[in-house]
Amino acid sequence: MGFQRYLNRESKDRDLAEEIQSHLAHEVDANLARGLSEAEARRRARLRFGNPRTVRERVWIYRSLPMMDGIFRDLRDAWRSLRKTKGLTIVALLVIALGIGVNTAVFSVVNTVLLQPLPYPDPHSLMRLVLFTPQRTLDGASVPEFNLWRQQTSVLRDVAGYDTGGAGLNLTGGDHPMQVQGVHVTHDYFTLFGAPVIAGRTFTEEEDSPHGGNVVVLSYGLWKQRFGGDTKIVGQTLPIDNTPYLVVGIIGPSFVSDNPADVWLPFQFDLNSQDMAHYFRVSARLQPGVTIEQANAQLKLASDQFRRLKPNAIGRQNHYGVFPLKEWMTGDTRTPLLVLLCAVGLVLLIACANVANLLLAKASGRQREFATRAALGAGRWQIIRQLLAESLLLSLSGGLLGLLLGYASVRLLLNVNTGSLPRVGENGMALALDMRVLFFTLGVSVLTGILFGLVPAVSASRTNLVASLNESSSRTGSGSRSVNFRSVLVITEIALALILVIGSTLLIRTYLKLQGVDPGFDTHNTLTMAMSISGDRFQASAPVDQIIRQGTERIKTIPGVVEAAAGNGLPLQGAFGVPFDIVGRSKGNAPSTGSTGYYSVSANFFEALKIPLLRGRTFTDRDNASAPGVVIINETLAKQYWPHGDPLRDRIQKAPGAGPPFTEPPRQVIGIIGDTRDGGLNRDPFPAIYIPLAQMPDGETALNSRIAPLWWIVRTNGDPHAVVAQVTAALRESTGGLPVAHIRTMDEIDSLMVSRERFNMLLLTVFGASGLLLAAAGIYGLMAFSVEQRTQELGIRMAMGAQTSHLRNMVLRQGMMLTIIGVVAGIAASFWLTRFLASFLFGVEKWDPLAFLLTPLLLSAVALAATWIPAVRATRVDPITALRFE
Amino acid sequence: MARNKTQDAGEILQGTLDLLILRTLILGPAHGHTIARSIESTSENALEVEQGSLYPALHRLEDRGLVASEWGVSDNNRRAKFYRLTAKGRKELAAATGRWRRMTRAIGLILGESNG
Repeated sequence: MGFQRYLNRESKDRDLAEEIQSHLAHEVDANLARGLSEAEARRRARLRFGNPRTVRERVWIYRSLPMMDGIFRDLRDAWRSLRKTKGLTIVALLVIALGIGVNTAVFSVVNTVLLQPLPYPDPHSLMRLVLFTPQRTLDGASVPEFNLWRQQTSVLRDVAGYDTGGAGLNLTGGDHPMQVQGVHVTHDYFTLFGAPVIAGRTFTEEEDSPHGGNVVVLSYGLWKQRFGGDTKIVGQTLPIDNTPYLVVGIIGPSFVSDNPADVWLPFQFDLNSQDMAHYFRVSARLQPGVTIEQANAQLKLASDQFRRLKPNAIGRQNHYGVFPLKEWMTGDTRTPLLVLLCAVGLVLLIACANVANLLLAKASGRQREFATRAALGAGRWQIIRQLLAESLLLSLSGGLLGLLLGYASVRLLLNVNTGSLPRVGENGMALALDMRVLFFTLGVSVLTGILFGLVPAVSASRTNLVASLNESSSRTGSGSRSVNFRSVLVITEIALALILVIGSTLLIRTYLKLQGVDPGFDTHNTLTMAMSISGDRFQASAPVDQIIRQGTERIKTIPGVVEAAAGNGLPLQGAFGVPFDIVGRSKGNAPSTGSTGYYSVSANFFEALKIPLLRGRTFTDRDNASAPGVVIINETLAKQYWPHGDPLRDRIQKAPGAGPPFTEPPRQVIGIIGDTRDGGLNRDPFPAIYIPLAQMPDGETALNSRIAPLWWIVRTNGDPHAVVAQVTAALRESTGGLPVAHIRTMDEIDSLMVSRERFNMLLLTVFGASGLLLAAAGIYGLMAFSVEQRTQELGIRMAMGAQTSHLRNMVLRQGMMLTIIGVVAGIAASFWLTRFLASFLFGVEKWDPLAFLLTPLLLSAVALAATWIPAVRATRVDPITALRFE
Repeated sequence: MARNKTQDAGEILQGTLDLLILRTLILGPAHGHTIARSIESTSENALEVEQGSLYPALHRLEDRGLVASEWGVSDNNRRAKFYRLTAKGRKELAAATGRWRRMTRAIGLILGESNG
């Protein structure tokens, strides 16, 4: 058989026509030979053969795939029908494009962040090493822990430690010193992530051990930018913080590191170290065939061993384990993204209901068309199929439009604000429009087309043939059932829109509350910047203290500067944690009195940030290395540990029992200052202590200098941006050429803190507004339709002397009835649904009365406005025209 | 739009037209008109070929590769499309003839005809 049966139908048909002609000619010849007259011979030949067209049709149909033919015909008809009602088609198209667009937008983010595998070989076996505690899971690591995990070779391989490159490094030498991100890694790091080496090599195990020498691996970006892509740099030295480093290798451009890095340096751990400070993270691969459960079981055993060796290291209920790296990286974005996906799903449902409504209105005007088709022999399925073709054509074109719209808008949005989403790259550049997104949009489009097309199609196909053809007025024929159904659709739209609007109101309120949170200091007119002090020069407290004194003095001479200070951390940014004892107080069974965040700060730190002093005094220049040890505590610590007593009479022992580099005598509490929100604006302040930087043990300063930058704080009396150039110049001069980075005002940091909340709020507000608009359009459409259908009735009422206000109210009442039902349903659903928003809310109850009262009112007002126009139109009906109307 | 027609004795049983066409073509290439006439005259005018079915049947056979066609000139000096049996067609004719014989014999046995 083959496919040739379906090919060249037209030419084969011409061939057949000719063949039939030939047949008839032969028949005529035969008839003539029998002695018939020419005319009779022709007549009989035609009579004998029958209708040639029927024969051709039979062959034509035999050569056709009825399915395909039907589909083409349906699509052609659909195209014609859609073009006939241009206005409606365009509105429907826009509504669908909006609905599908927002879905594509959110899905493309979900795809990039949650669905795409990590860009490393065999990404599923990559694990983050963590500590499970009954409350939370932590991923900080210390050298003894790293060493312990490294030994679990039965379940883990390529165990690698790496930090976040927090401190930054100074590429010195040349005319332009430059601060770069240097990430410290252990030598297995590159093997673990399969980093491609394009020149040279990565670190050897020897280079990664203490005294392994100064070596560095360059990133592709830095290599291109600073060294013009010249491979000769491998084997040469590079001055970092005035120390020569040997460049051993260059990593290829395809490698995306967890934290952006310009250069990689070996950690050079002393694996015998007993230092339990957590200052890096560890990832590893599961050995082939090992499951997560098996790895966790093994690590639990290892935790017990570890606890016997170091009794105070981890709590009795805590144990080590592994956590899939991708889930770890995306963990806290999962729920928000899924909530957003649900929200856009609601928008799409509203859009569907809206388009279904439009198509129902259109279908009710086409009763006679369908009846005629049915009378000509079209089956019910054929009519449904034709209408479905229309809606699919509509939804697929809308989907294509939505794909472009959604993708463009989400790129734009992420360009403005990435909402601190992981994996979307800088400004959302990593957002991919891949097959998965395309299939998603295609699937959603088809589903949408069926969803909004099926109801009108089925209801249209139920046409009562005789009634529709006979009835002169199609306006009253099937009106009421269609209106009933459309009412249900509008009620659904209103309910769904209300859910969205309540959700976005809750998020707006959350955002406003967060904005209203007092961070505990004055964020205005405050400039901050980071300086890397990781060089050998700053491995003790005195030189650090010295550059701070010199720097602040220089800065303070700049006009417009009011105060200057420095510290190893900034408020709002989190702090290092440390255990502490209150001298002379019993600590029961616990290893220490408690734990607290700590900052080492310069004099005038509190003055520069305007953190209020509650009692005692702040630090001065006299609190130096030779003066007695002092400490300032925050209000939370004071309240928590001295509910009745007076902290100023007590002394605090920081890091009791820590190893030699951290050993220090107890410190006298000299002041209590106000709390700052350091764990985030939505968290309660945590306990914190402040120590004069000059009094820090050298070993601790050395560690801090290596893992975190020194933060400078400059308070100005005008716009802080105005002094940036002078401040950076002053700092470079006073520190011997050290550059600064991360120059931001405290207001900018403050707004970064709420960027995720702003992102969620903005998106949900856009979705809520879209839903509201669509619902308003829906109720407007229905009421306008209903008024038009009832023109005759209204005309009669008017002729009988009905008041215009009465007619208007009648329509309004009908519209508001639908609204109220929808609102009640929406409130009920929201009561149940807002629980899923609970984790995003701050300072707002999930059943916030304001949201649950105000939003329905707002929505009702919008619905009232949408109903008003058709209602007024009802009063303008001219009785004469109305009665003549068809 | 099916017409209701009483079963005519001369009407060819469904499915047997193909067989008859193939059998006719074993004598040599022929065009549609000749085929119809040949079937009718060979059956002593007992069978009447519904000419409307003849051409769909021919095209079907051609698609199955049982016959091949080409345009030529007929005895009357008219252009006509000539069909000829292919090798595949010959095989099919043998098989179909066998099937037909077995079936008529079986039907004859049931109907109780002694010399079927």
